[in-house]
Amino acid sequence: MLLAVVPHVAYAQRSTVYASVVSTKPFVVGAPNPQTGLFYQRPENDTTWQHTGRNNIRAFGLDVLPSAKGQILCIASGNGVHQSYDGGKTWKISTGWRITEVLSVTIDSRKHEVLYCTTPYGVFKSTDGGTSWHEKNKGFVALFSPVLLIDPRDSNTLFCATEDGVYRSTDAGESWQRTGLSVGGVRTLAQHPTDSKILFAGTEDHGIYATWNGGKYWEKMEAGIDHSTFYAITFDPTNPQTMYAAGYVTGVYKSTDGGKSWRRMNDGLTNLNVHSIAVDPTNGQRIYAATMFGGVFRSDNGGASWRYAGLHGSQVWTIKVLPF
Amino acid sequence: MKSVKQATVLLLLFISTTVAQSDRATYLKEFRQRVEYVKHVYDTSQARGYYQAAVRYALKKNVRQADSMFVEALRVPRGDMFWMFPVIGTYLNGKEVMSPETKSAVRNAWKTYAPYRGDTENHWAMYYASLFLAAEQWPNLPGSEWYNGKSSDENRLEAKEYLFDWARITTTIGQGEFDSPDYFAEYAISTILLTQYAQDPQVRQLGKMLTEYIFADFAVEHLDGQYLGGFSRIYQPAVYKPLLSTASAFAWLYFGTGEATSSGWIVLPALSHYELPEILYQIATDRSKPYVHKERKRVRNVIRYGKEKNPPVYKYTYVTKDYGIGSLHGGILQPIQQHTWSVRYTYGRPYTAIFGLHPYWSGMELGMFFPEEVKTLIADVVASKGTYNNPDKWTSASPFERTFQHKNTLIALYDIVPGTTTEHINGFFPRNLQERIVDESGWIVCKAGDTYVGWYPLQEYEWKEEFENPANRLNDVGRPVLEREKEAGNWRLRSHKLQNGYVIEVRSKDEIGSFEKFRTELKRRIPRSILTPGHVAVEYTTLGGDNMWFRFPEDRKLNGAVVDLSKTKLFDGPFLQAEVGSQRLTITYKNKQRLLDFTTLTISE
Repeated sequence: MLLAVVPHVAYAQRSTVYASVVSTKPFVVGAPNPQTGLFYQRPENDTTWQHTGRNNIRAFGLDVLPSAKGQILCIASGNGVHQSYDGGKTWKISTGWRITEVLSVTIDSRKHEVLYCTTPYGVFKSTDGGTSWHEKNKGFVALFSPVLLIDPRDSNTLFCATEDGVYRSTDAGESWQRTGLSVGGVRTLAQHPTDSKILFAGTEDHGIYATWNGGKYWEKMEAGIDHSTFYAITFDPTNPQTMYAAGYVTGVYKSTDGGKSWRRMNDGLTNLNVHSIAVDPTNGQRIYAATMFGGVFRSDNGGASWRYAGLHGSQVWTIKVLPF
Repeated sequence: MKSVKQATVLLLLFISTTVAQSDRATYLKEFRQRVEYVKHVYDTSQARGYYQAAVRYALKKNVRQADSMFVEALRVPRGDMFWMFPVIGTYLNGKEVMSPETKSAVRNAWKTYAPYRGDTENHWAMYYASLFLAAEQWPNLPGSEWYNGKSSDENRLEAKEYLFDWARITTTIGQGEFDSPDYFAEYAISTILLTQYAQDPQVRQLGKMLTEYIFADFAVEHLDGQYLGGFSRIYQPAVYKPLLSTASAFAWLYFGTGEATSSGWIVLPALSHYELPEILYQIATDRSKPYVHKERKRVRNVIRYGKEKNPPVYKYTYVTKDYGIGSLHGGILQPIQQHTWSVRYTYGRPYTAIFGLHPYWSGMELGMFFPEEVKTLIADVVASKGTYNNPDKWTSASPFERTFQHKNTLIALYDIVPGTTTEHINGFFPRNLQERIVDESGWIVCKAGDTYVGWYPLQEYEWKEEFENPANRLNDVGRPVLEREKEAGNWRLRSHKLQNGYVIEVRSKDEIGSFEKFRTELKRRIPRSILTPGHVAVEYTTLGGDNMWFRFPEDRKLNGAVVDLSKTKLFDGPFLQAEVGSQRLTITYKNKQRLLDFTTLTISE
């Protein structure tokens, strides 16, 4: 382990990049999988990353509470949800045996003791900071859930990607109703930073869908899109008209008209299987693409060109950039 | 007169008891000899590892050498749950004699190395059995002393809860990773360790009952060291060389069958005090009367592309002293390593099996069971199980395959969608068959000692002689690298028709007489079939005179009556009986009975 404590700084315009690594080669249970788990870096560290928490964990998702400036960290992993409340000095798996193969974890930024995790067996919620977890699957037809969003303006409103379309809860997960999108294999969701009614969904085999009305109906985005499987969609928080999307052999697509049309931006991106994308909230030109078995790539010019940014050979499931 | 009768009864009772005790004594004597053999092999081995250390500790010989081996092995921990059970097993065998430094190294390993819990039932059995024992060994430690941040109490309670829940679901709707010749060891080791070492009397009793449960499950489908198929999971060499499976090592150790082995999988069991109840090895080895045994298991957790998490699996097995034929009802029940049906027999080791399959693979199949991205799953799986996307592979689940078995007759049907992987079916015929005759009637008639197998292909086919690829090596275009041997190769039957099937008849010399008579009788029985897309059906009257009608996928009739598989019990045969949901298994052999009651956690006789 290189360093156990995530640094935090007091001045603005700095950012920290977090990446969760599932594996560093095609995985078989029992084989060594040491260089996995949660990694982080400052952008100025170029290709160098530091590790925190346990090695040998299949880290799918991650979340970091922005207001805690790196002190509250969560990892979604094969063994459950790992949590740290001291910036990575100590960790604990807060879930028990009933929660496994956790694909994402989400902290409610308004009430940080409220957490959700998604799994192949549906959604689980904790209201006591991970001390206890409860299944929240009422209304789902198919339980497999890769990701969940909390509306940043209303903690009771959640959106969940499932194998049976996009579901919405307006009672903080107590019940779920399917939105207008019912295509199978929804892999990712993105919500507009300032207009909660605008959401995008990336799917397995069915391309990208968008809704402008909170999910009542969805429209398939086709202009400029030549691929069908998308694992990542994100808005540029500094300019929400700019968006990025990526998935299976897609490389990175960029839109500058709020998702209406797209074009590929792959110069220098040598691995086109991209599972996660993040835009630096302090610099909208700095984009990170997390690839499957190719590590991380970075663009400093809004996707016009890319260069390798470390974690060689890693299957990086999730990448996030936080403004501290 | 009355007193004479009483004396006679008493004498008979005495004799039977004496014989039984003598049988038990003989069994135990021979069992202990096998145990000593295993210990000797590892005690004198020059290799250095957990098992070599464990044996030295158990024998209290060369203890410092064992310390050195143990510490060395702990230095680079790897293997997840495959690391956990050897480590705790070795520790428990040696903790009374090992050095404080070694103890400290073991303790530190449980603090610093984070084993993955895995994604299958055997992984979790090993993980939680080992974690439970470790948490008992180091009680009252805070979370900071454990790799997962949980305290000793939290780990112990979580492990106990899981183990009891695993027992509940297994004894209610069946095992998910059921009847696996290659994963039997993982369960047996876990439960035997609990039986031997758990301090909590409930968990110790649970371990004992689960050990008997899985051995009972094996015993009724055991023949001459072999597990009788179908199987949820098996590796490719063992599918046609059955004694290569780890279950066969346990059969040798506990049933005294098969071939002597020093497999590492039986070291910790051999070091334990565990002895199999008499009734189980009697069931495993008494093949004086043929019998039908039926079971219900469950599909491994379906996480995508299915409405039901654990649909039922129906297994049917017919067992004689010479052969066994067993089948799963078909479809995708387990990914990658499923073996849907086979005939296995006592003649001709190591090649003692005939079977057929549709070699299928897809991202959909893997996505049903694994949470990673579907598009990359095939590449992930092929990295560790290289034959997965090989059209010549010998293990496979297929959504286009179904079976219908009645006693020693089996029908397999296939309705394969064009464009799927693959567009052919395969049959395996071992090279050492005494006869493999293609009769003008269409029957392929095989002789393996006193076992005769008839195979009636419903469609045209081709033969291919092929040689083994022991290392599963692939050339630069992904084809197996074959090592041609001086002997003849095994034979592959391949048929490229998408609507397809075959009828299998098996008889022993005892059942039908001569091989010629078997061949003659088969000639008179030609199946009638319809083989068009969406309508694949066959009607056949067996050598036993029963009429079987089978339409793909699930319409089965026997002598005109619908066969309703959904009524299948958890266990249903002369030796084992269990109702679905009962959590009770009744084991019967002659006048003896043993009840495993998981609702009360008791064993009664």
